[in-house]
Amino acid sequence: MATTAATPTFAPHTAASYGQTGIWSWITTVDHKRIGALYLYTALFFFLFGGLEAGLIRWQLAQPNQHIVSAEFYNQLFTMHGTTMIFLAIMPLSAAFFNFLIPLQIGARDVAFPRLNAFSYWVYVLGGTFMTLPIFFNSAPNGGWFGYAPLSTLPYSSGLNIDFWVMGLQILGISSLAAAFNFITTIINMRAPGMTLMRMPMFTWMSFVVQFLLVLAFPVITIALVFLLFDRFFGTNFYEIAAGADPLLWQHLFWIFGHPEVYILILPAFGLVSEILPTFSRKPLFGYNVMVYSGIMIGFLAFGVWAHHMFAVGMGATADTVFALTTMLIGIPTGVKIFNWIATMWGGQIRFTAAMKFAIGLIALFTIGGISGVMHSSPPADLQQTDTYFIVAHFHYVLFGGSIMGIFAGIYYYYPKITGRYMNETLGTWHFWSTFVAMNLTFFPMHFSGMLGMPRRIYTYDAGQGWDTFNMISSIGAGLLILATLFFVVNFLKSRKSGAVASGDAWGAGTLEWSIPSPPPDYNFAEIPVVTSRYPLWDLKHPERTAGIAHSAPDVMTITGAHATPVHEETGHKTAAELGIPMPFNTVKPAIAALAIVMMFGGLIFMHVGHFAVAMTITISSACLFVGTLYAWLTSPLE
Amino acid sequence: MPRKRPRRLASALILVAGALVLAACGEKYPNSTFTHLTEFNTIIDGLWNRLLLLGTIVFVFVEVLLVFTLIKFRRREGAPEPKQTHGNSTLEITWTIIPALILVLIAVPTVKAIWETEAKAIPGALEVQVIGHQWWWEFRYPQYGVVTANELYLPAGRTVNFQLNSKDVIHSFWTPQLGGKRDVIANRTNYIWYTPDSSLAGSVFNGFCTEYCGSSHANMRFHVFTVAPADFESWAAHQKENAAGSPLEAAAPVAAPKVASVAGIKVSRAAKPAPAASVQPATTGYVFPLDKMPPYTLPQTPLPVGDREVKYDDSLLPGGDASRGHELVTNMAHMGEVPCLTCHIIKGEYKGVLTDDNAKAPNLTHFATRHTFAGGIYRADAPTLARWVKNAEHMKPGSLMTTLGAGQYWPSMKQTRTTGLDDRQIADIVAYLLSLK
Repeated sequence: MATTAATPTFAPHTAASYGQTGIWSWITTVDHKRIGALYLYTALFFFLFGGLEAGLIRWQLAQPNQHIVSAEFYNQLFTMHGTTMIFLAIMPLSAAFFNFLIPLQIGARDVAFPRLNAFSYWVYVLGGTFMTLPIFFNSAPNGGWFGYAPLSTLPYSSGLNIDFWVMGLQILGISSLAAAFNFITTIINMRAPGMTLMRMPMFTWMSFVVQFLLVLAFPVITIALVFLLFDRFFGTNFYEIAAGADPLLWQHLFWIFGHPEVYILILPAFGLVSEILPTFSRKPLFGYNVMVYSGIMIGFLAFGVWAHHMFAVGMGATADTVFALTTMLIGIPTGVKIFNWIATMWGGQIRFTAAMKFAIGLIALFTIGGISGVMHSSPPADLQQTDTYFIVAHFHYVLFGGSIMGIFAGIYYYYPKITGRYMNETLGTWHFWSTFVAMNLTFFPMHFSGMLGMPRRIYTYDAGQGWDTFNMISSIGAGLLILATLFFVVNFLKSRKSGAVASGDAWGAGTLEWSIPSPPPDYNFAEIPVVTSRYPLWDLKHPERTAGIAHSAPDVMTITGAHATPVHEETGHKTAAELGIPMPFNTVKPAIAALAIVMMFGGLIFMHVGHFAVAMTITISSACLFVGTLYAWLTSPLE
Repeated sequence: MPRKRPRRLASALILVAGALVLAACGEKYPNSTFTHLTEFNTIIDGLWNRLLLLGTIVFVFVEVLLVFTLIKFRRREGAPEPKQTHGNSTLEITWTIIPALILVLIAVPTVKAIWETEAKAIPGALEVQVIGHQWWWEFRYPQYGVVTANELYLPAGRTVNFQLNSKDVIHSFWTPQLGGKRDVIANRTNYIWYTPDSSLAGSVFNGFCTEYCGSSHANMRFHVFTVAPADFESWAAHQKENAAGSPLEAAAPVAAPKVASVAGIKVSRAAKPAPAASVQPATTGYVFPLDKMPPYTLPQTPLPVGDREVKYDDSLLPGGDASRGHELVTNMAHMGEVPCLTCHIIKGEYKGVLTDDNAKAPNLTHFATRHTFAGGIYRADAPTLARWVKNAEHMKPGSLMTTLGAGQYWPSMKQTRTTGLDDRQIADIVAYLLSLK
């Protein structure tokens, strides 16, 4: 039950006042499952958009000295491809799962702050649109996704491109930070009775670590962006080289955020794989404790390796040595996970559903990316690798072969839970194999072109440099990758109406989310169950599987003095009203607050087209709107 | 799903990988980093080989184990429930320790190499200052008094210590065949050194900017010529001299004219007029022969087409007169339409307030000794030069050089020039540039 400040007085609502149909019901929803679905659809759209940007890049690079796109537009394309994929696709896809899954996995009825949850989504979609629309006006961000100063400072980027980037990223940071506070509170406070931390499902655990990474890393990039914003708009000199600034300030601040960011991108996918492998191997996750501790270690060490992105900047031998060693160190907990996953499947009865194929695909491909990552960890060797296509190969193996494969696995796995229907397995198989082959075709040659001298971020290259064949193969692969994704898009859209109907326990899994119907009712659990082990549903249906792990007593008293319900499968579809469960009101205030935020930041940009008064008017009135909406929001009851 | 399909696809993948490997061994790779041409690259290559060996071992082990697991433990009909193992401490310790040991095998030579390669350069090394600009490379040899651009001459067998700096955004100095890269950053000086092997006399290598630096990052290349020490001395001695055709007694006017003025500038009454007959003769020094440059060092950049095309009547070029060009470029009376010397230095000619440190464009004193220009993307031949002079920004995206041709669209100013140079004047200027040996 969500907590409120005053003693809740239950007032039964009719179904009509919940407004569960129509666009307005989606704009005003505070239901974590709907918000999760909104994240999923929006992020998939941006994923496709980023993929098209990549398609144009690969078309341009298929042959030397081409002019498919201009240099200026290419620089916008590669900037937006990176920015879109990281901030508008992978992170929100992870957020879709955080939203949908975490309350279900811990036995809660929603997140701690449902309206803040909606706010996070609206800030994301409005901020993402704000940052994406400029490409249609040839004004997209063009300083790389990493926006190094001094290139991003006003003297060297005098157009609006970087302004959109700075504002857009600030806005998106607000979305992520709000969500992080929300999920930390949810996971700490709202677990079902009996669910100790070491009984949480792996996805929730990895997501928990990710929320702390978000809370600690995003403020750093916020500061970095504030400095840049002030330099560009208010004449300060944080990064202005004419005033004697050290450009490395930006790099340190950015990468102290940027490295934890890549673990933010991968850990949710790791969590999904850890859910999927046990289900389709018919045995529990091997080494649960070690998997939890290695995830925590990765989160901790993530803050100690940032300068491995800076081995070429001349930090000196001591700094290079320290960061080389910490980077090598972080490879250990990561490698341990790979072995534990293989051990999970070892001795099992492996069922190769589409979800399982993608999960296995992550193991195979992330290993390659991890190995090239260790190769970068040696600074002298990295001086040949850095800023070449060898690095591009590495991070696409860990981000596409890792995060995206894991996310696809999660989509195939949880689609039945979300929609009540399975995705088509045949199309899923075609999707998997065509993606696996095309992905390798696209990115493996980049290991070669990089070590053979091809720099990054170049809109064209000369003939006769030894790179032609590799680039052609990569471009063909990229085209095939786009086609492969069509299998998924068709499957995703079709299966909503024509997929095989799924029951609550769609796959025979062991965690709580599978004990309620598919799709779940708006209140999730009619009765919050007591959790007696790490796999509560297997405790109920396959007790032999969990005989080897610790259990607690099934009889627990709730805070109201009643006996808590044991784990049970819910199949009925009583409404919340019939069950006496108070549901939160739908409200449009989070969406308005989000709009106000975007206008507040976006309004400033008018300063750079000579309309200072317009900028101040928009910014100040949006700030007032934000404060007003926030006041109304905070003083109205949740339910 | 039929069981044969994954195996067939796996075989297809192996064939593709094999083809890639074969391709890798077959073609010419002129920018390959796997060389032993300097001690720096030899150290790096040694590290790389170790990384590749260990990486391959881990890759094969993990992937074979994975594929084995998938095949051996796939679900069979009627099979009993699998053994419900939850963990094994011994295994956990083993597969933590072994990767840690592998990492030690990497860490020890890594740390050794860091300290070796980041030690100070030996005394007596050749000092070269590398200054990055958007989008060209400035090279200075303080020990020889030479300032040049885009073409770096090095004596084979002698250690060269690079001091790296940027005048604007961050760039990165990279010669893949000779060593690792180092960023060039404003407000700080970085160092990198290596010794091109003495057997490399008569070689030329490609260099690249490898830190995204804006519109023409892809066009910021350079060449390194490793030459015999005697040839290097000859080259340097010549590069130090004033430009051919420059007045021998430099009579600088007392009043410096405004750089942005339009009409002719009056020379101050106080200055002595330069004696007309006394000019720097054209002398020669060593220049790397053009016919010895391998094809991969000669750019094949096509001329721009479409709305960036720079039309020029090449038949005017043979009629270009170097002395008329010299008059146009160096006489301050033409400053408005021919502002070359407001950014470029031609040593011995009028330079006003320009110093090596504040000149925004490459030093052109011995321009005709260079085989490529514009950041190594074009051959320094007359037709290309003419189009460059006419509309540099069309020739190189974002170029900060003024568009000079009359009637040409000037992108960064978003306007079409009404005044400017006509094609004949450009032919003269090109002839002058090509006389700057």
